[in-house]
Amino acid sequence: MTAVTGESAVTQEATQTSQARTPREHTVLGLPLDIREDPRLLRGEAMYVGDIDLPRTAHMAILGSPVAHARILSIETKAAEQLPGVLKVATAADFPDVMPLPCIWIPGGVESHFPPHPYGLPGARPVLTGDTVRHVGDAIAVVVAETARQATAALAAIAVEYEPLPVVTRADEALAPGAPRLHEAVPGNLNAYWTCGDKERTDAAIAAAEVTVELDLVNQRTINSPMEPRGAVGDYDATTGEYTLYASTQGPHNHRFLLSALVLGIPFNKLRVIAPTVGGSFGTKGYLYPDMALVLLLSKALGRPVKWVDTRTGLMNSTVQGRDHRQHVTLAGTRDGRITAVRCTSHANLGAYPSTIGPGVATALMGRSISGMYEIPAAFCEVYAVFTNTVPLGAQRGSGRAEAAFLMERLVDRYAREIGMDPAEVRRRNLVPKDRFPYDNGLGWTYDSGDYLPNLDRALELSGYADMPARKAEARTRGKRLGVGLATYVAVCGVGPSTRMSKEGMLGGTWESANIRVHPTGEVTVTVGSASTGQSHGTVFAQVAADELGIDPEQVQVLEGDTRKAPYGQGTYGSRSYSMAGPAVALTARKIKDKLVKAGAVLLGLPEEQVVYAGGRVHERGDEENGKTFSELAMALWYGWGLPPEIEPALDETTHFDPPEFNYPFGSHVAVVEVDELTGETEVVAYTAVDDAGNIGNPRIVHGQIEGSIVHGLGQALMEAAEYDENGILVSRDLGHYALPRAADVPFFTLDKTVTPSPHNPLGAKGAGEIATVPPAAAVVNAVVDALSDLGVRHIDMPLTPEKVWRLLRGGDR
Amino acid sequence: MDLTLHVNGRPETFSAPPNELLVERLRDGLGLTGTKVGCDTGQCGTCVVRLDGKSVKSCLVLTAAAAGSEVTTIEGVTTRGGELTGLQEALRQEHGTQCGFCTPGMVMALGELVDDAEGKDAPTEPEIREWLTGNLCRCTGYHSVVRGVQRACAASAQAAAQVTAPAGQEG
Repeated sequence: MTAVTGESAVTQEATQTSQARTPREHTVLGLPLDIREDPRLLRGEAMYVGDIDLPRTAHMAILGSPVAHARILSIETKAAEQLPGVLKVATAADFPDVMPLPCIWIPGGVESHFPPHPYGLPGARPVLTGDTVRHVGDAIAVVVAETARQATAALAAIAVEYEPLPVVTRADEALAPGAPRLHEAVPGNLNAYWTCGDKERTDAAIAAAEVTVELDLVNQRTINSPMEPRGAVGDYDATTGEYTLYASTQGPHNHRFLLSALVLGIPFNKLRVIAPTVGGSFGTKGYLYPDMALVLLLSKALGRPVKWVDTRTGLMNSTVQGRDHRQHVTLAGTRDGRITAVRCTSHANLGAYPSTIGPGVATALMGRSISGMYEIPAAFCEVYAVFTNTVPLGAQRGSGRAEAAFLMERLVDRYAREIGMDPAEVRRRNLVPKDRFPYDNGLGWTYDSGDYLPNLDRALELSGYADMPARKAEARTRGKRLGVGLATYVAVCGVGPSTRMSKEGMLGGTWESANIRVHPTGEVTVTVGSASTGQSHGTVFAQVAADELGIDPEQVQVLEGDTRKAPYGQGTYGSRSYSMAGPAVALTARKIKDKLVKAGAVLLGLPEEQVVYAGGRVHERGDEENGKTFSELAMALWYGWGLPPEIEPALDETTHFDPPEFNYPFGSHVAVVEVDELTGETEVVAYTAVDDAGNIGNPRIVHGQIEGSIVHGLGQALMEAAEYDENGILVSRDLGHYALPRAADVPFFTLDKTVTPSPHNPLGAKGAGEIATVPPAAAVVNAVVDALSDLGVRHIDMPLTPEKVWRLLRGGDR
Repeated sequence: MDLTLHVNGRPETFSAPPNELLVERLRDGLGLTGTKVGCDTGQCGTCVVRLDGKSVKSCLVLTAAAAGSEVTTIEGVTTRGGELTGLQEALRQEHGTQCGFCTPGMVMALGELVDDAEGKDAPTEPEIREWLTGNLCRCTGYHSVVRGVQRACAASAQAAAQVTAPAGQEG
């Protein structure tokens, strides 16, 4: 069932519409409760990696390659070792036993080529490169010194002799015969040729079509740019042989597993990973980086904690980057607006090394998503995943799905223009009808639930879509060209079903877990394997537990981010925490409730079926007076007196949640832009988004994430680009050269939601955190092309800089 | 060289190298880690503090150049674990944070705007957005922050009206 709500997501009460699976009143779930994390953040008291100051800490700096491709002939470190404060200079030769950082998401079902890892896994980048550098920023050496300044200063005294090698930075060019080769093990730089869908059927449908439209698209490389650069502190304890890593990570458990077993070769139980407060991530902090291993190795070597905090330029040159596809896309349809086929050929730029999960993002996450909200009889996508001399590719807020929505929504607009039909009408005619769910999109995804038409219609209504002709005319009187652009999307989230992910090539489980411990005094501690990077987990998971248990959320404490305290889990990525860890919390709370009913029956001297749990109490069916409170039961179970042998004392339960399928949030966005005739500047003057993330735990959290996500997407459309020059030098190397949206670049948005619960988890939840980053780039480009369409403009590559638009306004190449 | 800063109302005397940046002194020298470093190049605003009442990016100020000045950091705005200021409270109510890394810099920069607005017309939305262009945020998209400033200005205008209203005329 879908409910369209009129109020803004922040102010409205929970719209828990008829979720058949849990027909009960929610007490605190779905309410916009205050965010408990906020006061500490507002007072500047939260502890980020850079703020950690262990006694006797030494400081590490990393020497990154200044050139994009070269053989290293020699590295001379003696001069650096003599400098004041320097404790150690290390190169690859100092760590002969350390294994490369592995890739754990390879494209599934196809032959893949990777540099090798000793365990037969697909590898990987070396922790420090000893023979060849393959991108600017590739780590060559490290200095540890008494202060960070001394360490950084000493980098300049390391002399490296390079023999330059030819450079290639574009995926299509790296495939060409004679292109520079990056890895011995990878012929032709091709990591994988991956496909999905039905090629024969799609080609036939395109050949037979009444109408076909084609586009060549560049989905430019972008840099996520969390405000906190990455950091790591390693602390080795020689008395126990245990390592502690503090790191800005999205997945402390995952990093623990990968680092201990696959990189350092130390026992799993000798490594503890702690994620303190993490200052944003958007995908980038889930990856393995050299620094994480280096601070641990050097802490052991020096007998002191070793700390490293990146600079912004360092981040730009070493933290994974996003998007970067060059695509040729084709859509076929009828004259009356029925889409009959879609086809995509993409060259994905993986960068110099396979990052932890980059190859999977560039293939499956993008390719299987291209048909979006539409019922398309034939679809096919092929991806050439290619290595080049650029920073490794990883996830970027909305990763894969944003690239897919961009190509599809550009194509639908192009098609609408070709057949002379309103783009909104073309979309309406092709939406997957609501009685078709679960819906197999023919590309590998089976959508769980959806009701797309009311969602799209709500966005059109809220945006005043019908009034656009009048607004266009009015804008022209002010020297502005007004354009309107639509974009819809379906975003696979809730990674995920472990077996299903294994078929996609994921090397490892993708389940999530939660533990609930009820203390004798009635307070509750919830511990989750996930780890927040700004998503207010402490608030929303308390709501889930309190709601299930019928207690006050103030009684519930939430812990995460420390592998010694938390149950296992895979972490926060792909908008999965609420729909993965949330159900784990709910199911664990149900185990607690079941036990309370059993114990309550014993304490009340009643048969179990005569006892009910409601409102945080156990009481006799039909007699609410005869009961025990949550706190009384907690204390009784703590003592454990008089319990029958089948009831263990204490209340401590854990659940590992591995859903049967992914979940598929969706939405419709409308961008209204004004292009200045004189300057070519594009201003987003109105933006409407109606998103559907199923049942929402705390609308205040989701509302904020949606606002931020849209701005992130607008950034890609209007200003963001990681630019490499012909030598492979990253020109956009700092925030003076890489533009991010600022407050004056955006208006307030008009937001609403529909609610279509997922059947695949007990909360009816779908992913939310990044979904609204998926459509804005397409919506804005569609809007600007609309504004310029009378000039014959059919496509403009992102970012839509004023210069680019200005040239088009003055008759440039269209 | 020995110099003195008045930091959050307390004199701090120390010896600093001439090329030391104010943000380094605050974070590494004085342990005031509420001030963050996001970009090193004056672009992001996470290091904003107030120098003699005016908000500045402390990664662009030499410690020596600040000698003798009053420096206010986020730690000087509230006591640890203490009550929030009106601006902070308004930002809390609008959930103007997410990861929180840009938040101290925003509070310091916006504090000047909100304080200056007292007794005058509240800043308009474009004015607030213009003021905020010195502070980057990647999580919130700024909307909740802008709403927070509007809320804070409305609250302080209301408080001012109550203070100045003649007795017996309220309500």
